[in-house]
Formats: sequence, structure tokens, C-alpha cells
Amino acid sequence: MRLLFLLLILLCAASLMLGSKQMSIVALFDFSSDAWLTITASRIPRLIALLLTGVGLSVSGVILQHIVRNKFVEPATSGGLDAAKLGILVSLTMLPSASTSNKMLFAMLFCFAASLLFIFIISRVTFKNSVLIPVLGLMYGSVLSSIAEFYAYQHNILQSMQGWLLGDFSRVVQGQYELIYIILPIIVLAYLYAHRFTVMGMGEEMAASLGLRYAATAALGLILVSVTVAASVITIGAIPFVGLVIPNLVALKYGENLSRTLPIVALGGACLLLICDIFGRVIIYPFEVPIGLTAGGVGGVIFLMLIMRGVK
Amino acid sequence: MSQAVKIWTMLLLILLLALVFLLIGSGLDFDYLIPKRFMRLVTIVLGSVCLAVSSIVFQTIVGNRILSPSIMGYEAVYLLWQALLLLVMGTNGLMMLGVSGNFIVSIMLMLVYSWALHRLLLPRCKSDVFMLLLFGLVLTMVIGTVTQFIQLRISPGEFSVFQGLSYTSFNRSNPETVWYGVLAVATVLWVSRKTLPVLDVMALGREQSMSLGINHAKYVKLYLALIAILVAVSTSLIGPTAFMGVFIANIAYALAGSSKHKVTLPIGCAVSIAIFLIAQIFVEHVFNYKTSVSILVNLVCGIYFLALTVRTRGIT
Amino acid sequence: MITVSNLHKSYGKKSVLSDVSLAFPTGRVTSLIGPNGAGKSTLLMMMARLLEPSSGYVSLDGRKISEMRTSEYAHHVATLRQSPGFNLRLTVEELISFGRFPYSRGSLTIEDRRVIDEAINFLALESLRHDYLDELSGGQRQMAFLAMTIAQQTDVLLLDEPLNNLDMKHAVQIMQALRRLCDEQGRTVILVIHDINFAANYSDYIVALKNGALSFSGTSAQVVTATNLSELYDLDFEIIRNERGCLCNYFNLSGVRG
Repeated sequence: MRLLFLLLILLCAASLMLGSKQMSIVALFDFSSDAWLTITASRIPRLIALLLTGVGLSVSGVILQHIVRNKFVEPATSGGLDAAKLGILVSLTMLPSASTSNKMLFAMLFCFAASLLFIFIISRVTFKNSVLIPVLGLMYGSVLSSIAEFYAYQHNILQSMQGWLLGDFSRVVQGQYELIYIILPIIVLAYLYAHRFTVMGMGEEMAASLGLRYAATAALGLILVSVTVAASVITIGAIPFVGLVIPNLVALKYGENLSRTLPIVALGGACLLLICDIFGRVIIYPFEVPIGLTAGGVGGVIFLMLIMRGVK
Repeated sequence: MSQAVKIWTMLLLILLLALVFLLIGSGLDFDYLIPKRFMRLVTIVLGSVCLAVSSIVFQTIVGNRILSPSIMGYEAVYLLWQALLLLVMGTNGLMMLGVSGNFIVSIMLMLVYSWALHRLLLPRCKSDVFMLLLFGLVLTMVIGTVTQFIQLRISPGEFSVFQGLSYTSFNRSNPETVWYGVLAVATVLWVSRKTLPVLDVMALGREQSMSLGINHAKYVKLYLALIAILVAVSTSLIGPTAFMGVFIANIAYALAGSSKHKVTLPIGCAVSIAIFLIAQIFVEHVFNYKTSVSILVNLVCGIYFLALTVRTRGIT
Repeated sequence: MITVSNLHKSYGKKSVLSDVSLAFPTGRVTSLIGPNGAGKSTLLMMMARLLEPSSGYVSLDGRKISEMRTSEYAHHVATLRQSPGFNLRLTVEELISFGRFPYSRGSLTIEDRRVIDEAINFLALESLRHDYLDELSGGQRQMAFLAMTIAQQTDVLLLDEPLNNLDMKHAVQIMQALRRLCDEQGRTVILVIHDINFAANYSDYIVALKNGALSFSGTSAQVVTATNLSELYDLDFEIIRNERGCLCNYFNLSGVRG
């Protein structure tokens, strides 16, 4: 775990130094210089957004996995991301001058409702093969997506919707991204409830035997997830796979006792996102590949390796 | 309702729909409008048949009703090829290759992909077909990100060409490609005609069919190859269809009331044609092109499918 | 003392349990036996508060359990069921420590650790302490789960078919452990069990259900008779008692009774 922390610090430093504007460390010491402006207005907010999103998404993934009791569930494979997209779309078309908090509210409500519906659908499926659930989730997500597309097509904003929904950190600029800070209290809450989430992951009957109010805990978990997903989609866009890959990798090595492994999951998420981001900024320097693509590619490949390895 | 009556009713319905499709709001323009529509009609029929047959047969082989070959990654490969073509040669490249050339190359590529999947993946996932499916879905998403990356690098003109290709559309074919398609499909259907009873037995599962004397492995290979051809033809003709095959197949099973393939296959084709015709009619005349066939089909059929899953408790 | 009064349970028109009233003796092992569909698991689940009765109530020490809070009930009654969907990657020690959840909600005190160690030693699981559950055999997993319910330190333990899928040795170990829990620690153990021989040899009391109603109940010495069992299971029984215990032979080499 200490190694992970060190890696994180290194990655943070690299992220700060990287960018289309060349900077020298010396220039940093002159507080009024251009370099300082770049750092504070764009690089540091970007770094913070990266860290919070990485942590938020991986923690959301692990909570969802404990609610649904399936290793392959995360916001992208349970309709959550697509529902948040739909929510933002609806808020935009119904209130054209929607403020960020309006969008946030809609996105969160849609995400929450869609996740509840998904859990209901899953609970009715008796054939609980572990791979069937994410497949159903992907189909469910595509139905939600087509609702969003239908809507967007009607209102002629399909093209732009595709644009601003793709996860992209280059949008993050001081004054535009503060919503993401909402993830901080979420993480604290998640950590406080970590033990309960593990008990919840044992199933309703075991939880009842141990005296945990299953429904209330699950609802709380869903709220935490919805808020995180909504905030990250609005600020940065959709980023798939992080919430799936990191918890599985951590579980392989450290088990699933959340009170112990939640910090590792959080760190892992931040590191993965940082790596993807740096990769995206380096590969076609000085332009960058949006994080939605790099995370989708890298995360997807890791996911495929996990499947091949036979993670059950 | 007996099987025969069902099938005849469906055929009649389709004939009716086809007539509506051809003639509605056309002012009986036999010089231009109706021939164009006829071409679209033929494309719809051909594409639907490919889609329905490939989905139903795939579901039988694999033993589960929520799968479809299209989501195994074939369509992602197709889209990647189109994007690469645009990137490397621009819209001129597409012109040079021609619609027919593109058609044939795409089919070849998808067959190669099918072979690779079969050789590398199937042996490792033998006992768990769902693993195969999840692998296909994720691979589709990963290939999709590469394709999206390419989209960032091509010019806006090329981009709109590409966008046009990535939705299901019945406007893309010409007589030549349709002929190739008909040839390919007719061959496949002829080859598999005699083996329909085998398919029925294979629906019982691997162990049961082997116990009844069927060389399971051999037939799986055969059918996968035939399915690959059908999927390749359908994708090249009408574009990606994603989960539509699943929806259509399940609607067909619900209507057919029997699991014998000589009933489900024709009904599947009929359902598929009907759905696409209705969707296209809606797109053209009700929505005035403000929506697309993929969106409508995914929306309506998707919801129906999810409701079906909940009602039947996902028992497949 | 846990008692059930006039319990009914029906799903639509189908009645699964009708008018069952029983008092389960404290500090004893009671087995619920009967053919499939008799309502044994249903009864147990209602006592575990996992199922709502259609009418009637369950009471613990005079108080209706429906009036108790979930967290409070967990201090008195622990339940162990088959968990096919359980696939969390936990070590044996971590699993057992979850048994302390009703008391410490996650932050383990010294007392908690003592109880956990006790539970581990009780079932001789020390060598498996740091192994992951998915690496253990079925029998070892079941022992770990039992240790978790032991660590929960409740007066009452409810177990639903704890011996399913266990080999003979582990089955005997589990039953011996249950016996010791009762004799050494004075806990009340109520279990649903299919194997009539284990039931007859290890329990103090037997409750037999058939078709949702009470068939007979009493001490095992009294009620384990050929007549009772033949009537209950629709099979030909021969009961042999000797100093090793009681053997119920229903294997019917000469043909099944009509």
C-alpha cells in the first residue's frame, strides 16, 4: 500500500508538469509568472478532478458490486452512466438555462431510479450466472442510451450530446469544476460505512441475521453511487471500467474486507485514472486523447484479461 | 392457432406492410420513387433474414436466449475497418473501393475475425458461454474506443460519412451488393436446410445431443461459420444492429409457441421484416426522419425484452 | 425461551404452514424433521424474522419478536442458512469477526478479539485462520460460517440444513460442535435437518412437521419410534438402539412401503 502511495505522488507530479505549455520549475518560484497561472487555473484543478473522480468511481464500483453481489457490476455496466446522461439531457431540454445544480439533481435522480430498476430486474432473474448480470446491465444501458438518443435526435442536439458526454479532463478549469468536490464527503461516508457495506455484500439473509438493516444500507449505498456518478458525468463526462477493474484487482490480492481494502481501492482508482490521463496526453502531444477513450481502452483490456483469467 | 395458420397470417401481414411501404404517399411514381423504395424493401428483407436466422441459430448453439452474434465484436471490426479506410484514404478511398468492393472486403475481414475468435477464444471458454459473450461485449467497447480515437483525427467531412455508416440504414445498398447478398444467403440457407432437425436436438445441450449421436463439435463449427457469413452480409448491407437480434429472436419465440426451428426460423424472419418495415415507415412518414431505425428498434424492442426477462424470471 | 403461537403461512391459496404452536426448550438441541414441503424451513425462517407469518406470532422470552428492532434481535438470535450466492473474498478470521457486528459495528475491541479467538478454538480452525474462504473445502467453509454465528454470542442459534453437501467427517464435527455449544455454553440450538440419524442421535427434542402441520414432538427418546417415523416419511423403519446410539434403518432392501 505504501508503494501505491508513492506511485500516486509520482504520478501527481508528472501530471502537473505535463501539458501543452512548456514550463520550467524555476518559473514556478516567481509567483506572478504565467507558469503559476497555468498551474493554479488549469493543472491543479485538473489534478484534483482526476484524483476525486478516480477515487469516486472506484468506490462507487465497489459499493454497487456489494449491493448487486456481482463482481462485474459498475456504473457503466448497470445503466447508471447512461441514466445520468439521460438525466442531464432531460434537464437541458426542459430548462434550457439549467444551472449546474439543476443538472446535478436530474442526473442524480435518474441514476438512482435507473439503478433501483436494474436491481429489481436482476432480483427477478433466477439464473444467477455471474456474467449474465453485466450483460443484462449493458443491454439495459443501451436501452437507456437509445431513449437519450431518441430525445436528442428530436431536439437536434445528438451531435453535441456525443461531444460533451465523452469523458474529457481538458474541460476542467478553475471555476468550472467545483461540483466535483462533492465526492469528498461521499468518500468519507463510504469509509465510515465500509464495514456495513461488506455485511450487505453477504446477502440479505446474512445481513438480517447480523442485525443490519439491509434495505436502508443498500439505499444509502445507491445514493452515494448516484451522487458520484452524476457529479463526475457533469464535470468530466462518462468514464467506463474504472469502477469495475480496480475493485476486482484489489480483491484478488487483498480480499474484500472493505474496512481494510477501501483505501487501497481508492488509491488504485486514482492511480489508474492518472496513468490513463498521462498516457492520453503524451501519445499525441501536444494534443490529448480524452480520458473516456483511454480509460475505455486501458480499462477494457484489463477487464478482458480478468475475464480470461477466469475471475468468477 | 395452428402453426401453419400462424405462418400464413404473418406472411399476409408482411405483404400488406410491404405494399403500404411501397405505395404510401408515393403518388404512384413508378419511375423513381417506387423503384428506390423497392430497393430498400429488398434490402430490408435480406438484412432481416440474415439477422433473424443468425440470431436464432446462434442462440440454439450456445444454449441461451439473450445472446446474439452481432455483439461478439463483428460489428466493431466492421466499424473499425470503415474508420481506418476513411483515415488512410479519405472519402475518395471509399469512392475508389466502391460500395461493392467495400462490401466484399468487409465480409472477408469479419470472416477472419470469426475464425480468430473461434480458434483462440472458444477453446478457453468452452464451459462458459456467458464468458464468451461478456468478452465479446467488452472487446466491442475496446475496439470502439480505438474507432472513436480515429474519429477524432479525421476531417469533419469524413466524420459525417462515418456517422452515416454507424447507424442501421436501409439506404446504402445498390443492386450489385444486393445480388451478392442474395447469393450468399441463399447458399447458407440451402446448406442448412437439411440440418434443421439437428439444430432441434442441439437445443437440448451439448451432452444430450452427443448422447443422441450428434457430432456436436463439428456442427458447432459449421454453424458458426454460416452465422459469420450471415452477420457479415447483414452488417455490410444494413449496418450495425447490436442487440436487435436478441429482441427479435425472443419476440419470435414468444409468437411461435414451439421451439422447432422449422417454425421459429420463418416466424423470426417474418417478425424481423415486420419490425424493420414498421420502423422505417415510422421514420419516413411519422417522424419525418427526425429519428432513426436503430433508435426506434432499440427503444421499443429493448423495453419489451427487459419486461419479458422480468416476467419469465430470465429462465432461458 | 422461544415460542411460536398459531403460526400460519400461505402463498395465495396454497397453505404452507397451518396453525403451528410450539415451545422450544431453552438450552437444548431441537431438530425439525419431516418430508420435503412440510414447512420446516418456513417455520425456521419465521423464527429468524426472515419471513412474515400470515397470522400468528413468534415470541422470545415473552416478547413478540415483530416488536423488536433488527439490531436488537441480532443480540439474541443468530441464523445460518445456505448461501449459494456468497462469494466475498474474505479470510476465515475476517468472516468470523463479522459475527461481532451487532455489538461493535465494525470497530473491534479487545473483548471482540477474545470472543473471535474463542470461536476459532472451539472449532479448531486455528490453522485456517488466514486462508481465504474460496480456497477451502465445503466442510471447512461451513465450519467457518458456524464459527461466525458462535462469535455472535447469541442465546439462540437457528440453522437451516447445516449438513447439506458435507462429507461424513465434517457432518459429525458440526453436530458435535452444536452438541458442545448446548452442553458447555447452555445455548439453544434449533436446526432443520434431513438426516434422521443425526437428528435422533444428537438432539434432545424432536419436532416433526408434515404438510404444514405438527405431526409429533417430544424428547428424542420418546418420539423416535418406528411407528412415528414410518407415518411421517411413508417408509418402512426399523429402529435399533444400543450403547453407541440409535440407528434408523429405512433403506428398505425388500421394497418400499406403499
